[in-house]
Amino acid sequence: MIICRCEEVLLRDIITSIENGAETLKAIKMETRAGMGICQGRTCRVLLEQAIAPYTDITIQETNNIMYKNPVRPISLANLSRSGKDSSQ
Amino acid sequence: MKYDLVIIGAGPAGMCAAIQAASNGARVALVDENPVPGGKLRGQVYKEPKSDWWIGEKIVRSMESKIKQLGVTCFLEREVWGIYPKWKVMLNNGEQLESDFVLIATGAAEKAIPIPGWTTPGVMAIGAAQVLANIQRVKPGNRVAIIGIDALSLTIAYDLKMAGVNVVGIYLPPLNAFSLEKSNPLKMIAYLSSLSHLAPNPMLKLLGKLGQIESVQKLGVNYYPPFGMKVWGIPLHLRKAVVEIIGNEAVEEIVVAAVDQNGQLGRKQEKRIPVDCACISGGLYPLVELANAAGCESVYIEELGGHIPLYNEELETTQSGIFVAGNSTGIEGAKVAMAQGELVGTVISIRLGFVEGGPELIKKAKEKVNLERENAVIKFHPGLENGRAKLERLSRIRE
Ligand SMILES: Cc1cc2nc3c(=O)[nH]c(=O)nc-3n(C[C@H](O)[C@H](O)[C@H](O)COP(=O)(O)OP(=O)(O)OC[C@H]3O[C@@H](n4cnc5c(N)ncnc54)[C@H](O)[C@@H]3O)c2cc1C
Ligand code: FES
Repeated sequence: MIICRCEEVLLRDIITSIENGAETLKAIKMETRAGMGICQGRTCRVLLEQAIAPYTDITIQETNNIMYKNPVRPISLANLSRSGKDSSQ
Repeated sequence: MKYDLVIIGAGPAGMCAAIQAASNGARVALVDENPVPGGKLRGQVYKEPKSDWWIGEKIVRSMESKIKQLGVTCFLEREVWGIYPKWKVMLNNGEQLESDFVLIATGAAEKAIPIPGWTTPGVMAIGAAQVLANIQRVKPGNRVAIIGIDALSLTIAYDLKMAGVNVVGIYLPPLNAFSLEKSNPLKMIAYLSSLSHLAPNPMLKLLGKLGQIESVQKLGVNYYPPFGMKVWGIPLHLRKAVVEIIGNEAVEEIVVAAVDQNGQLGRKQEKRIPVDCACISGGLYPLVELANAAGCESVYIEELGGHIPLYNEELETTQSGIFVAGNSTGIEGAKVAMAQGELVGTVISIRLGFVEGGPELIKKAKEKVNLERENAVIKFHPGLENGRAKLERLSRIRE
């Protein structure tokens, strides 16, 4: 069953990554690309939080460890440079 | 460009804040990603228990003309991608709006419940069906199944029926890590009984009554007819879950299976039902990325929808000058959002020195929020009061 529809990551892939030692949303993201698609986790983030709870002893309250980073919405590089901001600031 | 107040989100909360602040003399910028203001209010139509019809579209239009009259600068079809100190609101066309005060009124998003086949074209979040039917006036399908029982899905089932759609049934989601209580018949009966008696449509009202009858609560699930019970001609199934959605190019069928009173699948045969659309209702969660990325502290309160920014009685977050209102403070109805918007508009007007008599005005605005809360016709979470009490405690501790 698909969990991250943008990157087509299956529940099975997520469980496998947890079994291989990924414990945080960030680790799962790095391993599977879940959350890195065009919607930037709008659809799958809450599902990932729920998916890891039963397989690790991390509760949803504690999963807020990936902080959101700017840009929180997609922006073209041309417009980003026009705004004169380095998004990593 | 420098403003007195920049508002992100032109839903009911953002629009009311804009009107309040601008009518006190503030220079306000209002940003929304949609081509028209109104947010989720535009899809709302229902009969009020004590008065007339609540027609979201009409209310939006009258607020829109006020906003124009007051000279609020609107940035439509612009997404905000970040807020930088102190404070610069970044738009996706490269523009930036500066202000000492920012209101995040970005509303809520819908949560999916993954079911095998849930990414097939023709499966949508229940809110999308409401937008199609009530705003775009397009039927989302001819034979529609609804998965997930809650105030929102029941309201929209009714909307769809009114729009001439054949709603083939309202079903439970299957028991999995994502559906939790929503797959449990006993919990769902308890939930239905908690729906306010003031419910906005006759269907909700009937269900509220059904759940309140003690015998139904005790015996309900066991004796619940296997064929479901019709409410307004729509079969409501508290003992059947949709375990799969089937279709190649688009949705063709749902697979339905009987469940026991705890939501566990029985061994009985599954049944296939032809549909051309399936709507999943997994609940709402506040959109808080902007607040989080701007460094506002957040807390997790399930009854309010999940992660939310921590805010005080005046709806200011832990970053001074950044406020929240509406669904980004927790999931509640449109009237609460509007009253919260007015409160923020008032607080900021006072801080800017545009109005006098501060404490009295703020007190009145707070009272209005509480009044709307008491009279709310839709309660999104049965434990709402509990959640609000938790938040207030956390906010006091922080201070
Ligand atoms: C599908 C659905 C149905 C609902 N039905 C009802 C109902 O029948 N009755 C009821 O009382 N309540 C209902 N609600 C609750 C509803 O959210 C509130 O009634 C009310 O609309 C909340 O107002 P708001 O101003 O907080 O947010 P919204 O009305 O959601 O408005 C937020 C606005 O901000 C915009 N936005 C968000 N992020 C950005 C960004 N980064 N950049 C630019 N713009 C942005 C959005 O596009 C949107 O226009 C429903 C909610 C949903 C999701
Ligand atoms: S669904 Fe995972 S990034 Fe969009």
